[in-house]
Amino acid sequence: MVGLISKFMKSEHWEYLRDESRSIGEADSISFPRTEEELEKIVKVLAAEQIPITVQGARTGLTGGAVPYGGHVINLSKMNRITGLRYDHGRFLLRVQPGILLVEVRKALENMQFDTTLWSQESVDALELLKQSGPQFFSPDPTEASASIGGMINCNASGARSYHYGPTRNHIESVKVLLTDGSSLSLVRGKHRTIDGQFRVASEAGNELSGTLPLYKMPDVKNASGYYLKPDMDLLDIFIGSEGTLGIVTEAELSLLPAPAAIWGVTVFLPNQDSALRFVRAVRGEQVDGIRQSDIQLPVAIEFFDARALELLRKEREHNAAFGQLQEIKSHYHTAVYVEFHGDNDMQATEWILSLGDLITSCGGDETDTWVAQNPRDMEKLQFFRHAIPESVNMLIDQRRNTEPFLTKLGTDMAVPDQHLTSMFELYDRRLAETGLEAVVFGHIGNNHVHVNILPRSLEDYQRGKELYLDWAQEAVSAGGTVSAEHGIGKLKTAFLAVMYGEEGLQKMREVKRLFDPKGLLSPGNMFSPVQQER
Amino acid sequence: MSTLQIIACVKQVPASTEVKLNKETNTLIREGVEAIINPFDTYAIEEAVRLKQQHGGKVTALSMGIPSVAELLKQTVALGVDEAVLLSDRRFAGADSLATAWALAGGVRQTGAFDLVICGKQATDGDTAQVGPSLAEKLGIPHTTYVRSIEHVDEKLIRCIRLTDDGQETIEMTLPALITVVKDINVPRLPSIRGIRQAQSAPVKLLTADDVNADEKRIGLKGSPTQVVKTFIPAQTTESELFTGTPTEQAKQLVAKLVARRLVQEGEADGRD
Amino acid sequence: MAGISIAREKCTGCEQCVNACPFGQISIVDDIAMIAEGCTLCGACVEECGAQAIVLQRASVEAVDLAANQGIWVFAEQMDGQVRQVAFELLGEARRLATTLMVPVSAALLGFGCESAAQQLIACGADRVYVLDDPSLAHFNDETHVDVLAQLIEQHKPEIVLIGATTFGRSLAPRVASRLDTGLTADCTLLSIDRETGNLLQTRPAFGGNLMATIVCPNHRPQMATVRPRVMKALAPDPMRAGEIIHPAISVTPPRSTHVLAVDKSLGDSVNLTDAEIIVAAGKGIGSQANMALVHELAHVLCGIVGATRAVVDAGWTSYDHQIGQTGKTVAPKLYIACGISGAVQHLAGISSAEVIVAINKDPDAPIFQSAHYGIVGSVEQVLPALIAELRGITAKKTSIDSR
Repeated sequence: MVGLISKFMKSEHWEYLRDESRSIGEADSISFPRTEEELEKIVKVLAAEQIPITVQGARTGLTGGAVPYGGHVINLSKMNRITGLRYDHGRFLLRVQPGILLVEVRKALENMQFDTTLWSQESVDALELLKQSGPQFFSPDPTEASASIGGMINCNASGARSYHYGPTRNHIESVKVLLTDGSSLSLVRGKHRTIDGQFRVASEAGNELSGTLPLYKMPDVKNASGYYLKPDMDLLDIFIGSEGTLGIVTEAELSLLPAPAAIWGVTVFLPNQDSALRFVRAVRGEQVDGIRQSDIQLPVAIEFFDARALELLRKEREHNAAFGQLQEIKSHYHTAVYVEFHGDNDMQATEWILSLGDLITSCGGDETDTWVAQNPRDMEKLQFFRHAIPESVNMLIDQRRNTEPFLTKLGTDMAVPDQHLTSMFELYDRRLAETGLEAVVFGHIGNNHVHVNILPRSLEDYQRGKELYLDWAQEAVSAGGTVSAEHGIGKLKTAFLAVMYGEEGLQKMREVKRLFDPKGLLSPGNMFSPVQQER
Repeated sequence: MSTLQIIACVKQVPASTEVKLNKETNTLIREGVEAIINPFDTYAIEEAVRLKQQHGGKVTALSMGIPSVAELLKQTVALGVDEAVLLSDRRFAGADSLATAWALAGGVRQTGAFDLVICGKQATDGDTAQVGPSLAEKLGIPHTTYVRSIEHVDEKLIRCIRLTDDGQETIEMTLPALITVVKDINVPRLPSIRGIRQAQSAPVKLLTADDVNADEKRIGLKGSPTQVVKTFIPAQTTESELFTGTPTEQAKQLVAKLVARRLVQEGEADGRD
Repeated sequence: MAGISIAREKCTGCEQCVNACPFGQISIVDDIAMIAEGCTLCGACVEECGAQAIVLQRASVEAVDLAANQGIWVFAEQMDGQVRQVAFELLGEARRLATTLMVPVSAALLGFGCESAAQQLIACGADRVYVLDDPSLAHFNDETHVDVLAQLIEQHKPEIVLIGATTFGRSLAPRVASRLDTGLTADCTLLSIDRETGNLLQTRPAFGGNLMATIVCPNHRPQMATVRPRVMKALAPDPMRAGEIIHPAISVTPPRSTHVLAVDKSLGDSVNLTDAEIIVAAGKGIGSQANMALVHELAHVLCGIVGATRAVVDAGWTSYDHQIGQTGKTVAPKLYIACGISGAVQHLAGISSAEVIVAINKDPDAPIFQSAHYGIVGSVEQVLPALIAELRGITAKKTSIDSR
């Protein structure tokens, strides 16, 4: 085993103590397996000695899921190959190892270039077919494209386009999972299912694993909180979104879709928030008072940026050279909504954009106040604008940490059902005004899922912000929503999970955990522990 | 002050500045190379539209190319260009920068009186940066290259800041004049839905060699003093090479490679001259 | 009339020309090559055609007395009396070409108070230096410099004129060529003489360097080319070389339409990563802030600029203006040396346009090695001093040969 497991050296391995949540953990040892065999050996040794294991992908998570709580770190970044391709019932299924990054998968698919040296003949044949079939893509689009596929599966990642295409879960055809007892399960959608919660499945080695999954009510919104539990479900769905607590995903099949020929995006600036919310509801096909029902094709993404976010960007654009290339945000631009269209050709897209212009006018906006991207280069400019908001937030907080080193931003991740969109915004605005807290609001409004980023100026602000966050979480849950729609619970949001499922629900989750990881070795602190003390 | 008549020159280039090589057959891969407006020219268009919005006047986008370039020119109308003009004629084909300058000069004169011609600093497909100064010569007007900001314009003159190798200079020219602009000058806007609506019905004025009274001996292949006699694929560097040995041995091998690739030169003194 | 055509009876439909066309304008229809309207008449297909079925008819040009032009000229760009290094490089190249053509090499030196530099130009290879010393030439001014250089060329009729592709050179050269109605080839990387015709063969990269094009200017004189700094090699100065300093009879008139109001040379020190030709960049893997000194030293030896990853900037080891690969800041240097950089995707995207990437990292599995042309596995503390010493060594080696 010498060679596979290394002693954790802070000077050399410092980066593996942290992720994008900016919290820092600790560890005693670390490994970088390259193959399933190596991984199995490592897990066997660790399990025998009952050493806790934190599994890491690309460490782009925002809730500390990859931050180790002592013990061992298994970093999967070197298990990063594309291992095969399958054509099944009109769909292409790309088989990948968990450490590969989303951006690498995209690049391979765009260039149709794969290292096929270790591929089976079936895979090579499927590749020939793929090349003839025209461009395909893997639709999940988290903002951070350098996320690993394993990480995306473990938090059921989503992005702007999930409004139309759904989260990662919808595009995973099969997974292979290594459990801490050393058994390996291959779980295929449609093939390995639970019936009334009961399942029975054979491991690779031929051992049988069976059990009964408990049940609780899951919110009927975009969700990344707690285990996925339905009466009759695909067994692999229990692992998708399990945040590394049940098993280690060693391989997965990604279900591909034909890539749209025309991708256009528009950022629309509305004169006030009310007008923006009406536009959002109208563009997603809701009946809105005073607006003629539009038969415009549904966008694949609907994103939102409130007046406070635009104001923050205006300031950054002036002072920070890094944002010098941002488009000019005119002073009368109040609230922004981004919508994206996927279609077969530019003519279709042009027609769509012109009817969108009519819709904007009927919502009280002006079609002059829009930025249209008709090609990948201009799409990048709109994306730059979108990314600039969280980045400005981070820079602002960094500045404040110079004087108050304990400050962090407080970013919410809640989603509610459609009918609560307007009332949720009223709640956010009212409570922010009452508490006098500084904040910006942006995110995936198509799914009624916006991130309120509270920007504390002092520790007092920070405390008040945390209380406010908990209040909102309770409100979101009572409206039938979720406390985390995409980031997951990780180590930072465990308190909210109790708000959502209650002690009874947590008990059921522990039951699930015991079924697959009876010794409780995997990803300690994720989902179940108290919130880590802020340093 | 009086209004400004501005001409922005536009070239169609392939979207990818880098044409990939098929390593097996050693040929160029061109599939999916989309045609776009030369990225540097988008700064010229933006600056022209901004000047018009400040001072009033008219912006004409002028290009030379095959008929399909008209579609690209329409896109400039969505950005605020008032008139799009395309020089298109088989007789213009095969032009080098001198012959291009002759043809464009004809096109500029055809648009009537003008105050300012704006070009991008260079085109991404040729990277020569020659057409701007060459065109100014053919029009008999002063020019300044690498302009990063315009300080002042009135009916008689323009004052601008140009980048140099050592810093920058403030230059004043009498109008009409020509400038070539660098990226620092502005942030090109994206079209609005309104702009796209307007561009739908915008006409593109097509001009032939006869329309601009071009001297056939001055345009196209015939009017080009330079000729390409050979194109070849340069010896490609192989996959990455890892040096072994002691640090000094590794350093020696690396420096030898850098010298061979002319990235480091023997006899070069510390620091820049 | 000029144009391109396919001799249908000769064409075999072999597709050689289809692959040769850099613009994708040739297709095979019914076993015969067809040329589409996007053809630029570049001629790349002509020589590729084994059957000689493609005919590119160039215009018959009125006979010009080519023999009237003789000698090779170099424009000796100067600033405040100091000749730029590129001019010496061009003189070195001009000498090489002159041995084939057996003609003299001249330099044109335009400025004010610059005459003392003439001797240096002779020492570096000029047989004659045409000096124009005038207050109107004190600053580079497009109008006066074009006027004077074009007059000089018309007066003395060189067959070749080489100009450095500096900011000024790239502004001056096309305008002079346009006034003289002659050809100009930008950014040549290779110059040679066609022994049959005596024409200058000018080779330059096209299509992002994936294709090289050799260009001639057969019927017009002078043949003009610009060359970027650091491409050609200067000769070691020989103070004993003899040469002639000439003050041509040209009246320099003050500019009428173009005025240089202010010259600001202060930007020379600021960090301009975007345009830097050589970048030495540091990642967190260099270990400590102390090792930044090694990175700076290497950059200095190479006349390069220091870059850094986000982690290094975040750690406060260097300032934000050095950061690469974040928020749209990409670089395109000729040489990029990555020290202790693991190669995060964001960073790799920022440097993907670099021509040559060298990676120095102690982790042999660092992803940067997959993107690098040359790699050294080792710690920055050990490798950089060796590299700095080696680079200093080749400088010294050359000097010692000179002094013999």
